[in-house]
Amino acid sequence: MAAEQLKGLEESYEVEGKMALPYTYFAGRVGSKFITTIRDQQKIMGVKCPACNTVYLPPRQVCDKDFTDIRDNWVELSNTGTVINFTVVRYDDRHLPRKAPFVLALIQLDGAGTPFMHIVEECKIADVKVGMKVEAVFAKETTNTILDIDHFKPEAEKISIHALNAARKQWIPVEEPVTNEKRRGGKPDMATPVIITAALTGAATMKNQNPSVPYTPEEFAEEAWKCWQAGAAMVHVHAREDGGMATHDHGRIKATHDAIKDKCPELIVNLSSAVGMGKTAEQRISQIVAIKPEMASLNTNTMNFGIVERRTGKIFIDYVFENTFTMLQDFGRAMEENGVKPEIECYDMGGLDNTLLIARQGIFSDPMNFNFVWGVAGGQAFRAESFIAMMNALPPRANFTTCGVGTDEFPCIMQSCLLGGHMRVGLEDNIRMPDGKLARGSYELVEVAVQVASALGRPVATATEARLIMGLKPR
Amino acid sequence: MAHHKKNRNVGIIGIGQTKHSSHREDVNQPELIHEAVRLALQDANLTMKDIDCVVHGNMELFEMVHQPDLWHVLGTGAYGKDCIRITTGGTVGATLSCASDNLAASGMYDIVMAIGFEKLQEGHTTGGITNMADPLWFRKIQAGALTGSSAYDVEREFGLERANRASLTYRIIMDKHACLNPNAHRAFGLEFSQIDDLIRTSPKLVGELKLIEMCSQSDGACCVIFACEQKAKELAPTPVWIRDHITVHREETFNIFGYDRTVPVIKTHKFAAEQLFRRNGIKDPINYFDVFEMYDPATWWAIDWLRDFFALPGDEHLKLVENKEIMIGGRMPINPSGGVIGSNPIGATALIRVAEAALQVRGNAGPHQIPTPVRHALASGFGGTMWTVMTMLENELNW
Repeated sequence: MAAEQLKGLEESYEVEGKMALPYTYFAGRVGSKFITTIRDQQKIMGVKCPACNTVYLPPRQVCDKDFTDIRDNWVELSNTGTVINFTVVRYDDRHLPRKAPFVLALIQLDGAGTPFMHIVEECKIADVKVGMKVEAVFAKETTNTILDIDHFKPEAEKISIHALNAARKQWIPVEEPVTNEKRRGGKPDMATPVIITAALTGAATMKNQNPSVPYTPEEFAEEAWKCWQAGAAMVHVHAREDGGMATHDHGRIKATHDAIKDKCPELIVNLSSAVGMGKTAEQRISQIVAIKPEMASLNTNTMNFGIVERRTGKIFIDYVFENTFTMLQDFGRAMEENGVKPEIECYDMGGLDNTLLIARQGIFSDPMNFNFVWGVAGGQAFRAESFIAMMNALPPRANFTTCGVGTDEFPCIMQSCLLGGHMRVGLEDNIRMPDGKLARGSYELVEVAVQVASALGRPVATATEARLIMGLKPR
Repeated sequence: MAHHKKNRNVGIIGIGQTKHSSHREDVNQPELIHEAVRLALQDANLTMKDIDCVVHGNMELFEMVHQPDLWHVLGTGAYGKDCIRITTGGTVGATLSCASDNLAASGMYDIVMAIGFEKLQEGHTTGGITNMADPLWFRKIQAGALTGSSAYDVEREFGLERANRASLTYRIIMDKHACLNPNAHRAFGLEFSQIDDLIRTSPKLVGELKLIEMCSQSDGACCVIFACEQKAKELAPTPVWIRDHITVHREETFNIFGYDRTVPVIKTHKFAAEQLFRRNGIKDPINYFDVFEMYDPATWWAIDWLRDFFALPGDEHLKLVENKEIMIGGRMPINPSGGVIGSNPIGATALIRVAEAALQVRGNAGPHQIPTPVRHALASGFGGTMWTVMTMLENELNW
């Protein structure tokens, strides 16, 4: 206080006080699970109100708008979100989580309907903007509080594959014939865009293995759209019932196919002609003829197709996947006659030779499109030299893509991309990321494939380019 | 004191309470409140859409949450509604009721929801209350609700043995009532035969004030829905009408030094009761009322205050207790719910008095319903530096 203000108060005094009021508060069951899930699984979960569709984060027991009990309606949210507002804390205090200055922001996670407050770091304060994308950085040591998310940092800038493709010239087929000699010369054509296919489910992968496996047409459409965003030109689809069982029901398959086409009209939909275990030849092909997708899988040999524990060799499910010469011929003919381009599935060299033998009847239109499948219990495991042998056995102008079950997925797609072939990834084949964490969806695996392509300098094919490469009939 | 004129009558049409307990660790604050809100809405057969205004109250900073009404929207349903927060200390629950009555009577809102809550387990009640006292003018010696001095006064007037026995008789009656109330926090199953043992064994806090005679620290919430006369008649089969309420407080009661000796120290309870009954033409309150839900933080205060509320001469108040006339079935049943000694989630406590009195008038209080018809009920609230709030409830609009 200035001297003149103190005038007349010389004999007065102030009484100093101090309050220490310790307190606790119960986080609630829902609030506790929210924190422990972040702590133990590094997953951010909200709850969704089925009545008003609001996704609450932080989660709560009851929708405060309509009083619907939502405590068990958990949904997993993205680790990324948007800053919708922020403030800069410029004073230091014991109760503050950081030394000033630091940024406290309201962050709305992708998929959430409500924002929550957290710290934004790893960037200059001046660079924090409303609307900026941020991602969660989890704490190394738990405090059993919301600070188990240590802070948010600016999201690593992801350039959209569609933006990249729009900025380059479209690939046009070269008229000169492609010969086996050219391939054997060891100079794959790295200028040809690489087609990325996302296999969304298969017939066997279930939600309890990875919750992102789609069952309903809506879930398929959502997953397909995410894969499309990430860079896939095609999706491979086995339709499921609501409970997850693979189905041959034409109505359900058509609904699934159409839901995907409605959401992403450009995307190529490749339906399975294997459908699932125990389906008859009629059930397998009639749906393809009825729905007429742009592409469909065509299986090339009768083989074991079981579930065997890799480590011990113990057989869990023993099953013979029947694909006789007659089926190969009839399915192939039915597809070609209905304008459905076959994707020829080769689980070993024998399957490839079977196809080449039947192909002498002149069933298949040029170019033929092969998929080398690795790691099925009953087919061959991925080996680099086997891959090259199969590639070298292909007829001229044929295309090849590849997919591998489990950990075979990443080396096999990398080799295919390196040799001028294409790549298939997705939850049908593999549910985990290269680091072993569960993939958040097939789209995350598509992102890995995009990284492989960009590391090798190959452009990622647009759907239009994919159609040109694979010789799909214009619709 | 002038009788305020009411623009229109107001009735209670919905009541909800949680189970009160020392530790409601199964719910957080909004979740605890939500239990009471949901029950009150169910009781009134309404949804949140029908509620025009929410009046929220608890003790200031007892849970160390600033503006708890904002967090609590998660449980109160006040999202997007007019919401008023009230904190008048121990009386806050009663003030919620008065405010809701006034808001509905004024015509501003047709249906008002009052919510009182406390989760004392999570805060530091004594830390908060102790800060009232400071040796400066107007911040005198009252440190919270402890009252050894009342015990001393009763003891001096009626002798130690009679005083102690009356106090413990009151305590055991409250326990017997609490045992009938499924929401009560403390229901021990005490018997009158234990009086001597309890006098001997219960730890002494200040003078003759013993631990067993004090109220508890509870977690709990109470929600009461008020409606204007027209809505109350439309919506409720048996609305409970609010006839009148009064609030009196005087801080200098606790100023031992310096009060004006020419003005006699009248206790606020006595003053409030006199004013309230006079302006409503009630000459014989002890016979007029059928039940009294009294804010009784400790037995010594309770037995002393009976005299103040009902203007009883001599030792009539002690006789009421000694003859067990205050039990369910007696002449003037006090706290069929078990009272504050039974359950004390402070911000809800005084609203629970109104709610329990209203349940008695409605006749569906449950196992602790008094057997004879209840036409006129009284509820009181108490807090801080001698605050009194009194509320009169009626089963008919005929006064």
